[in-house]
Amino acid sequence: MESELPTFKEKNPQLEVVTELIRGQHPHLKGFYKNKNERVVCVKNMTPEDILLYPTRLRNALGRKVVKLKTRHVTKHPSVQGTWTTDVKF
Amino acid sequence: MAHRRCLHSALLHGTALISLKKSPPLSIVNALTPKPNPVITTSNLEPSWFTPWSYVRHFSSRKSDDSENEAEMEDSSDVEEESDEMASDMVRDYSPGEKEAEAAAIGYKVVGPLQRSDRVFKDYEPVFAVVQIGSHQFKVSNGDSIFTERLKFCEVNDKLILNKVLLLGSPTQTIIGRPILPDAAVHAVVEEHALDAKVIIFKKKRRKNYRRTKGHRQELTKLRITYIQGIEKPEIKTDGKPLKAADKKPEKIAAIA
Repeated sequence: MESELPTFKEKNPQLEVVTELIRGQHPHLKGFYKNKNERVVCVKNMTPEDILLYPTRLRNALGRKVVKLKTRHVTKHPSVQGTWTTDVKF
Repeated sequence: MAHRRCLHSALLHGTALISLKKSPPLSIVNALTPKPNPVITTSNLEPSWFTPWSYVRHFSSRKSDDSENEAEMEDSSDVEEESDEMASDMVRDYSPGEKEAEAAAIGYKVVGPLQRSDRVFKDYEPVFAVVQIGSHQFKVSNGDSIFTERLKFCEVNDKLILNKVLLLGSPTQTIIGRPILPDAAVHAVVEEHALDAKVIIFKKKRRKNYRRTKGHRQELTKLRITYIQGIEKPEIKTDGKPLKAADKKPEKIAAIA
């Protein structure tokens, strides 16, 4: 972990990376998002290369709740030329 | 079973009977070999108003795999397809920039420079485009978010240009591509690379003591569409009701190849 952490810190200057030594608990990564969401990932028994994958994933993701997507396309203005009804004639 | 009994009796009586009994097994083998191969047909989907869509759409070969697995005689074709997939997964080091551009062309995106305090998020414009990424098509407007499969070669906060645009539309004009429009482009920004919610794949065969549970999280990329170019946008001055004016029915539908 110590070998990968400096490079991760340099690549992401906008992040604040804090290391703490916690006794009596499994090692974990905690991600704090701007929408006050916390994501905890347990990294017990993992090699540094494997651990590097998780902080990059946490950095890539927004803090939204992991829910199944209703639609793959989120829009506020679904129609430009007018919604089709049976009365529309071209 | 009858053959064994016949042979046993032939051994006791004489060798002439054995030569007669060899012919039936040969006829059974001939009947097995000409097994009919499953016929694979590709159908053309042409909706009535998309008449200029004259290109045949080729579906993936996964349906043919399922039908071939049931046949016992055809095992070599499955092995070949599995090895092709393994070879494409192993090639990961895209060191030269040209290879990245090639792979990006498959997914119909071009990675632009990173965004550094650019005013990219504009107000809503009443223009839409139908854009294709990979094998999925989306009807897209300014300010929409789209979830696609994980796009390689782009980080978060990257600008993308999606160049496979199939249709452009505005309240007054519609431009249909055959099948793509060469001069149209859709600008997007990568918002996040995240994992979808976990889907549990549960397989069970009843009364056969077979039960499998597998978890799967699909890797997705969220894109936010910022700009659509290639069509004349109607200039709507900021009055009290600009959106209702944009919802008018189209006056003309001009099909430009």
